[in-house]
Amino acid sequence: MTSWKDTFRRREKAHAVEALRERLGQFRELVDKNNQVLELIADAGEKLGGEYIFDIQYLRTFAGEIETAVRGVISSLNAVTGNRYPKLWNTLESISAEINAALESRSFVPKASLAIPLEQVDEELSHTVGEKMARLAEIRRIGLCRVPDGFVVSAYACQRFLEAAGVEPIIAEWFDHRETIDEATLARGSAQLQDRIHGAALPKDIARAIRRAVARLRKGRSCSSLAIRSSALGEDGELSFAGQFQTLLGVAPDQVPGSYKEVVASLYAIGVMKYRQTGGLHPARGLMAVGCQCMVDARAAGVLYTLDPSAPQTDVLVVSAAWGLGKAVVDGGDAVDRFEISRHPPHHVLSRSIVCKERMYALASGRGVEKTAVAAAEQRAPTLSEPEIAELAATALRIEKYMKCAQDIEWAVDSDGRLFILQTRPLRIDAPRDPASLGTTELMIKYPVLMRNQGEVACRGIGAGRVHVVTEQDDFDTLPDDVVLVARFSTPRLAAAMVRANAVITDVGTATGHLAAIAREFRVPTILDTEVATQRLRDADEVTVDAEENVVYGGRVAELLRYQLLRSSAYAESAEFRLLRRILERIAPLNLIDPQSPSFVSEKCATYHDIIRFAHEKAVEQLTEGYWVRPSKASPYVRRLELEIPLDLIVIDLGAGLRAEPGSRTAKIGEITSTPLLALLQGLTTEGVWRTEPAGMDLDGFMSSATRALPLTTALGTKPEQNLAIVSDRYLNLTLKLGYHFNIVDSYLTETRNDNFIYFRFAGGATGLDRRTRRAALLKRILEKHDFVVEGKGDLVIGRIKKISFEIMRQRLEMIGRLIGFTRQLDIHLKDDSLVEKSIDSFLRGEYNAFSY
Amino acid sequence: MKNRAEVLVLDDEAIVCERLKAHLESNGFQVETFTESRQAMHRLTEKTFDVVVTDLKMEGPSGLDVLRFVRDQMHGTQVIMITGYASMEAARTADYTGVYDFVLKPFQLDEMGKLVKKAAKKATRLRGRTEE
Repeated sequence: MTSWKDTFRRREKAHAVEALRERLGQFRELVDKNNQVLELIADAGEKLGGEYIFDIQYLRTFAGEIETAVRGVISSLNAVTGNRYPKLWNTLESISAEINAALESRSFVPKASLAIPLEQVDEELSHTVGEKMARLAEIRRIGLCRVPDGFVVSAYACQRFLEAAGVEPIIAEWFDHRETIDEATLARGSAQLQDRIHGAALPKDIARAIRRAVARLRKGRSCSSLAIRSSALGEDGELSFAGQFQTLLGVAPDQVPGSYKEVVASLYAIGVMKYRQTGGLHPARGLMAVGCQCMVDARAAGVLYTLDPSAPQTDVLVVSAAWGLGKAVVDGGDAVDRFEISRHPPHHVLSRSIVCKERMYALASGRGVEKTAVAAAEQRAPTLSEPEIAELAATALRIEKYMKCAQDIEWAVDSDGRLFILQTRPLRIDAPRDPASLGTTELMIKYPVLMRNQGEVACRGIGAGRVHVVTEQDDFDTLPDDVVLVARFSTPRLAAAMVRANAVITDVGTATGHLAAIAREFRVPTILDTEVATQRLRDADEVTVDAEENVVYGGRVAELLRYQLLRSSAYAESAEFRLLRRILERIAPLNLIDPQSPSFVSEKCATYHDIIRFAHEKAVEQLTEGYWVRPSKASPYVRRLELEIPLDLIVIDLGAGLRAEPGSRTAKIGEITSTPLLALLQGLTTEGVWRTEPAGMDLDGFMSSATRALPLTTALGTKPEQNLAIVSDRYLNLTLKLGYHFNIVDSYLTETRNDNFIYFRFAGGATGLDRRTRRAALLKRILEKHDFVVEGKGDLVIGRIKKISFEIMRQRLEMIGRLIGFTRQLDIHLKDDSLVEKSIDSFLRGEYNAFSY
Repeated sequence: MKNRAEVLVLDDEAIVCERLKAHLESNGFQVETFTESRQAMHRLTEKTFDVVVTDLKMEGPSGLDVLRFVRDQMHGTQVIMITGYASMEAARTADYTGVYDFVLKPFQLDEMGKLVKKAAKKATRLRGRTEE
């Protein structure tokens, strides 16, 4: 007879399982919405890749869809946690308000720092720092060349200054609501606006920001004078504005704020206003960021074109050079040296014209620049040596390769012979295009086609080089430049080599994946998921990848390569492009990285990505907290697993994951029908993976362990955590607490490739931070070698992989099983960094007893 | 003799014209672009095109006007209409008899290339010409 107590207990158990199932349902919903947001972000990123044409309406729809999905994530999180994070709603509202403001008025200038150090700038910030400085910072950031140190006074600062100076009423008076604006009106308006700027005081915070930035710049550097250059919004865009704005050289540090005003005033120079008007823009409504950089004390300087504008069909770079500063070359007027250099390494000089250079521009002792006499012996000497010319050519071609079109580059060589790049912009050549010689049909007759319409294009463009088939052992540091990388998987490991490659092709991968995003970031022509690339393309063969028409040709297709350089519009940007980039800034960046950090709080979420990341983390935490489930004979869906290894694991079946006989509290491995759990257990129970001997601990390890509080998020005082596997036939959510560390695996495994994913999270450990960090480093490396996207800090590692075929995904889960077993007590043994390498090697070799315990 | 299909592209955004031109040319088409519909319509009276790719919403005569013009005056020329999300509803109610197809923004250049190819074939067939 059953007592009322038994009945009550049974009900309680059933209730606990129900509650867990419900909570898991909400968690799944959150994960779905989370993935939807990530897909939308990837999708929008793809639109920036150049393959699409879209309009403002698309942007509105995108903004609406992503906002709805983020709302869904916040809702699910609050459902899972009992409304613990209501403040996330405020964050969402403020981000969405900013995005909508940007969508409504295209002149939206985001609130940004007033002065931004160059090292914090990349091309994404072009609407804040102007395209010219953004581009310069970008080529410096990715290590293409040396660029003088400096900072940028932002467009936001300019907007504030113009407001404070009160230019708007003048602009309205002279230029608004007029049918035509004649030259006299332009001249009067221009004079009045420039006077207003010169007469206005800089707002105090802007002056202070500039002075501080100058002081920071000079700290530890020899930077006795600066170059102050315009970087107007839209400069070098559809209109080039070349040479229209003011540039001041040799500015003394204390004069920078005054010079800043002078450069800003050039927004209203009569020439600029006419130019804007002719280009179809409002003559007086513009904004300007201003670059302030340490002056290069140039021995020689000048301009380089990566193609000869008068003969673009020749394989020639053209360099103009003068002694001292490049002003003589840029302004024209003085005779300068001219070199024609081969575009092919080792960049021989094909022709040279060395003129008599009697005078040169140099830094004046007080301020500014002056024309001085050139020593007699140097007047007829060439300004550049052969090695300098070769370095200049190689640098310029690297920049051209990245920019994907011919470049017009200002450069300087200092007295120590160091080459600096001062500016780079698209070289505008109106070259006739010959469509007849560029049609795919014509090219296919001329060149062998190795692959056509295989896979999907992840980043458009054209690149040629020698094939390098990637292997596990590859050391990307020694990779030659100008290769076409061919790989089986689109592993994130390839990202490291991407910047060096001219094109990338893989057998497996998707255009919405991580590698595709990196390909677009570095603008490397990339074709993924071809299935056959590693079979069709052989190491060291020369090929041309046309990732516009999705064709791979044997040999170098000169027609295509040249065509690409002459297309000035390769990355020309429409207003929609810029707008999308701007709104993505409030959506895509991820600032909340480390869940253990004190700043991992809802108030620090600055983007939609931050919100979903925060929500996912907190939901996982909640899922693994608190509940205690006991197997019962009566319930067919909760069982304790009988394993060969001493692991106490409870399995909860959500549907078709367990074929357990009634009347037992335990289940054997053979009764599991959950494919992902089986794969993982297969790895975990691989012979030798789960060592049963007690691990010896040295004194260091012991002391750290003894003094360390429990590292994880679970509140103390609750019941000890259970090892739980919540499963269905295709799903697994596994929480394992092994000693002092946590493993979480969340995975979906089906025949439908696009549904498949593994989320693996590892945190904690008993030893000191150094050893735990070593274990984390080891996990990170092994996961990356198996194509996971990995992030983490300290002892936390999060690995993700998705959209891979059933069999490969199954193997990855099995590997995760082995990894969990292998790393269980490994931190104790990782006394120094060399042991990390040793352990990685032995894991990859399948030897799991790297240490004798 | 080679028979290259002639395409007229009309969109008030120069960048759209430029990118479509580059893409279609690399697929072997002869392309002329216009950012003003009046000029485009004038050109259509001078020369026979196989395919007209036009934006729906423009200042002055709209894509619909261009379609009517082509339908009434030209034999065989196919019209592909580019529309934004919002215009799709309006598109359903208007008379678009004779349009070859609609392309919704955002679209992939490749997608447009394939469509133009098919439309050009139809134009050739209707005019009783043989291709290449």
